[in-house]
Amino acid sequence: MSTAQLRPPPAHTPPSPVKRPRRRWLSTNASHYILWALALLVIVGSVIPVVAAAVWSTPLYESGGHLTWDNFDALLTDRDWWTAVTNSILFAALNTAGSLLVGVTCALFLTRTDVPGRRVLTTFLLVPIALPGLVLIIGWAAMWTPAGFASSWLEANTVLSMPVDLYSIPGMAMVAMSVASPTVFLLCRGTLLSIDPSLEDAARTSGASPLRSLLSVSLPLMRPAITNAALLVFALSMEVLGLPLILGFSNKISLISTYLYDHWVNESQQGLVSAGAVFLLITVSALLVLRNRLVGDTARFTTTTGKPTGVRVLKLGPARWFTAAAIAFFLLVFVAVPLAGVFLAAFTSILSPFISPWSVLTFSNFSAVFENPLYTDSIVNSLLIATVGGALTTLAIAVLSVIAHRSRFRFRGSLQQGMLWPRMMPALVTGMAFFWSFALLDRSGAIRASLWGIGIAFAVRSLALGYSAFYPALAGIGADLDNAARTSGATWWTAMRTVVLRLVAPAMGASFVLLFVAMLNDAEPAVFLVTDETPVLGLTMLQLAATSIGGTVAALGVIQMVITLVVLGAGRALLGVRPRA
Amino acid sequence: MPSLQLNKLTKQFAEHTALHEVSLTVRDGEIFTLLGPSGCGKSTTLWSIAGLHRPDSGSIAFGDRVVFDHGHVNIEPEHRNCGVVFQSYAIWPHLSVAANVGYPLKLRKTPKAERDRRVREVLELVELGRHADRYPHELSGGQQQRVALARALAHPPDLLLLDEPFSNLDAKLRDRSRQWLKTLQSQVGVTTVFVTHDQDEALSVSDRVAVMDQGKVRQVGTPTEIYEHPADLFVADFVGTANILAATVVEADGAHAVLRVDGVGEPLKVPHTDRRLGPVRICIRPENIEIQRGGGDVRRPHHTLTAKVDNQAYLGDHYRYTIRIGGTPVIVTTTRPAATGELTVSLPPDDIRVFHEEADSNEENHHAPVH
Repeated sequence: MSTAQLRPPPAHTPPSPVKRPRRRWLSTNASHYILWALALLVIVGSVIPVVAAAVWSTPLYESGGHLTWDNFDALLTDRDWWTAVTNSILFAALNTAGSLLVGVTCALFLTRTDVPGRRVLTTFLLVPIALPGLVLIIGWAAMWTPAGFASSWLEANTVLSMPVDLYSIPGMAMVAMSVASPTVFLLCRGTLLSIDPSLEDAARTSGASPLRSLLSVSLPLMRPAITNAALLVFALSMEVLGLPLILGFSNKISLISTYLYDHWVNESQQGLVSAGAVFLLITVSALLVLRNRLVGDTARFTTTTGKPTGVRVLKLGPARWFTAAAIAFFLLVFVAVPLAGVFLAAFTSILSPFISPWSVLTFSNFSAVFENPLYTDSIVNSLLIATVGGALTTLAIAVLSVIAHRSRFRFRGSLQQGMLWPRMMPALVTGMAFFWSFALLDRSGAIRASLWGIGIAFAVRSLALGYSAFYPALAGIGADLDNAARTSGATWWTAMRTVVLRLVAPAMGASFVLLFVAMLNDAEPAVFLVTDETPVLGLTMLQLAATSIGGTVAALGVIQMVITLVVLGAGRALLGVRPRA
Repeated sequence: MPSLQLNKLTKQFAEHTALHEVSLTVRDGEIFTLLGPSGCGKSTTLWSIAGLHRPDSGSIAFGDRVVFDHGHVNIEPEHRNCGVVFQSYAIWPHLSVAANVGYPLKLRKTPKAERDRRVREVLELVELGRHADRYPHELSGGQQQRVALARALAHPPDLLLLDEPFSNLDAKLRDRSRQWLKTLQSQVGVTTVFVTHDQDEALSVSDRVAVMDQGKVRQVGTPTEIYEHPADLFVADFVGTANILAATVVEADGAHAVLRVDGVGEPLKVPHTDRRLGPVRICIRPENIEIQRGGGDVRRPHHTLTAKVDNQAYLGDHYRYTIRIGGTPVIVTTTRPAATGELTVSLPPDDIRVFHEEADSNEENHHAPVH
């Protein structure tokens, strides 16, 4: 065939005066390198000074000093340290065992059987995940400690009593279970819902009873989810600070986190604490790496798996009422009573079983909060960090995510890993990392004196959370959509700005809501960074609760809870935000 | 409109070679189709042209403009000035039809009035003038596909690239769209590269076709050349239906060859330019096998054979019979029904193509007789 048959463009489509797109002065690739280097410097690089501080004889902000193992020597020969390690392991093991028992049982019963009131029970079980971590602990302390309102009331008015002393390791593990159980529940429920019902049907047709098919088919299939949950809960238990500080510290029970806190705040042994932080970092990272090895990290990114309509419901018969009652009882003790405790403590002048709470109702705790500049500053600072910091972090996550997932940038893989890395970092270590980084790089102390210091630490701490909320939406946008923009003449950045980021805007909103809540309530990283000018809500409450559980801290808890629930509720209504494990 | 030259394009994915020194020339203004089974490298070739994939080596030039040359040049996709229609259409859901089509013009800083005029013009061209303010989700599949085409033509591009653009349409609409595309392309005159795995599509829209397999170009030619004179057994088998039989060349003079076909009593004399003797495969299209009608046992023409019908099917516009010749199933099609039970057929020598075994490839294994 000859080309002569083909006509030239007809007259009615004259060639437009087309300009080719301009070239930028900074190439896309160079901008990727700059952002990548910045991101890894802030996210991963900040750990290096912690290690340096641990092996240097003087604090890094002082001149001189030399390489030394003395800090590790001092740590490893300190009997208190080993007591703290033993206590931490015991606490983590108890918490993991209890949470698995409750979480897996609840997952099986609440998703696969006809237990009455499943929806209400599920919602109630998930409440602790949505709440700020400290609120529930304050509630427990007000109600279930030996002198607490509920324990005393039980002893005075019934034959029952609270069998566990909260000022002990099993007691602390029990409190921790109220937050860890719903985490286990969420991870297991996702797997249960995604199991193909025909697998159980096959067992039924082979002659298995409904219960037997559930236990012999679906339970084994949940094993990866259970392993995942167990390692996650164990790792998080090793680093938690708030709970042991409030319940264990006064009774001289020290965990790794409180040991580090005490030696930093009260004894200023910064080298020793850095060595301990390195130890904590290695332990927690190893556990989480092991977990990723065993189950992969993909499960985090499933938003809603499975088809709830396809789930077979097992008929329990009369036992269902007993099961519902047992779960309801657990939720009453572990969630409802502590929550009620927070409100009771916040709205009464004195909380005692011997005085009717109704006779001592008062708003004085709230006026005390609003009259004290420390508390008002804390609230304002935290709101600022949550709003401005949350927005900037969302933007940073969006930009880094598109580089990590939508570009041909050579090191995009390391960026994907880098954004998940903060999940491996104990919160205390994150705080210390920035303390040493600022000490080294910002000698004037200007960053630490402003809210930016704590804000950056909180941002890095919450990065993985925002990323895991954002990533599924990004992955859902077909690559053809940005390729179409590229071939239309858009540079990589223009394609991202005009197509991809527009389409993921709702996910950015959802990510912002989660970051807002996390940064509003975060406390641990601030331990090392806080100054008199930069109090934040979480840490102020923690320090207050560590000395006494009074009406003031409960009032702060109510304020924190109300802001959190309002923002989460708005996020859920507008953007479909869900609580995350 | 420039022509397009691909020179020794190679691309390796891990262990798998996606492109194996692919060289092609697409002439100015033609519709050139890359045809092949999935995984043959046709899409990789298209994305390499668009700049969305980076080949390992080789070069690509649009006319005089080199857009890729291994190690020296790799023009970003946004600077190649191609118009691409994606299999998924890739219409941006957050933009109206007019905004989708106007996007390439906006990036080129075309003044607003000029842009609006051009968008209207292109939308008229694809018969979507009345839908300019709609959003993609309000359009049917066929309309979305035309928006994608309008957007690809807006700038206007130096080269139009289409990746299986009709595969998401139903059969009737697909057929109409092909006719429509061919007319439109000849109006606009843009050099077009079209990727498809559908041989009907390739034959009906293309000026020329390249048949690809396992990262290699097997044949380039007009639809007629590809169908009637396939270069090898793969092309013969992939394009259309081919009956492939084992045979032996017993005599060859450079113009004709005498063949013995398993299951056919008398030797056949067919046109053939090779002088080699020995085992070969022969190929004949189902519609070229002649059915001898007339019932009873009248005088049989030369080269006929009678075989039992294994299987028969009625497909609306034709009948299909499966018989066996020397143990190999052979398909025969006809527009008129033939007698059931037994079929007497002859193999017209002019329609038989002869292929020698190639020592270096294994493809022929697919065509081994099924016993």
